[in-house]
Amino acid sequence: MFKDLDPILHSQLRLAVMSLLISVKEAEFTFLKEKTNATAGNLSVQIQKLKEAGYIDVVKQFKDNYPQTICKITPVGVKAFDLYVKNLQTYLAK
Amino acid sequence: MNEENFDPKQSLLLIESMINRAKDKFAEDGSMYLLWGWVVFICSLTQFVLMHFFKYPYHYLVWFASWIVVIYQVVYIRKKNKYRRVRTYTGYILGYVWLTFVIVIFLLAFLIGRLTTGEYYSHISPILLTIYGIPIFLSGIILRFKPLIIGGIGCWILSIAAMLIDNYDYQFLLIPLAMIIAWIIPGYLLRAKYKLQSQ
Repeated sequence: MFKDLDPILHSQLRLAVMSLLISVKEAEFTFLKEKTNATAGNLSVQIQKLKEAGYIDVVKQFKDNYPQTICKITPVGVKAFDLYVKNLQTYLAK
Repeated sequence: MNEENFDPKQSLLLIESMINRAKDKFAEDGSMYLLWGWVVFICSLTQFVLMHFFKYPYHYLVWFASWIVVIYQVVYIRKKNKYRRVRTYTGYILGYVWLTFVIVIFLLAFLIGRLTTGEYYSHISPILLTIYGIPIFLSGIILRFKPLIIGGIGCWILSIAAMLIDNYDYQFLLIPLAMIIAWIIPGYLLRAKYKLQSQ
């Protein structure tokens, strides 16, 4: 039914992450977790999928001896998100 | 939040709510405006008193106090960055606006004596006021905060007013005045807005 919609984005948690990342320059894993109310396990799986699709960049680093995961949307991700929203609009117009 | 099937309407609602959540915090609490507003206000007023009433030749030495504030600010920013979990475009651009301002002020401090002849110090107030207006005005536009926009324009009006005042000492008094309208008042208003939202 929704064959035109990008399956990577047409999943609640992945879409939530992409919507958050499109609004900011970069965000930490804990920020995404708090805003989406997701579990850490589920969130890391979905982030990994977005990363594999090339939609986001994930940088793991240490800050004051604590591990930190920073996510940032890529130009490919912005394009995919844009297309997804455009396709959504055609469904709503029907 | 992991069902794969949800309809386009739900998708749009989700996108909208996430975008709103990402920007729901008004990040500026006004503390830096208040800190620098008061520091420059006190330093410039002290300098005026030393210069005008005591005729003290080394009146500019009072500005060395601002170095302590610079050190405090570096520590404060580092601490703030430690707890920052998100970087917005607004914050990113504002950071560079203020960095540009600091660079221009330092460059001018070195250049002004060389570029202008005669009583070069008589040009300092109008030039400083013109430059003070830039980051304040831009911050107001970026944060969509009117008191800062008005404060920035106020600095520019004062820079014109400075040319009309012949006495250098009195011209110098426009600097603390600029601090009140462009830093201190918007600083308190920013703080009030920030507190209101965090309630």
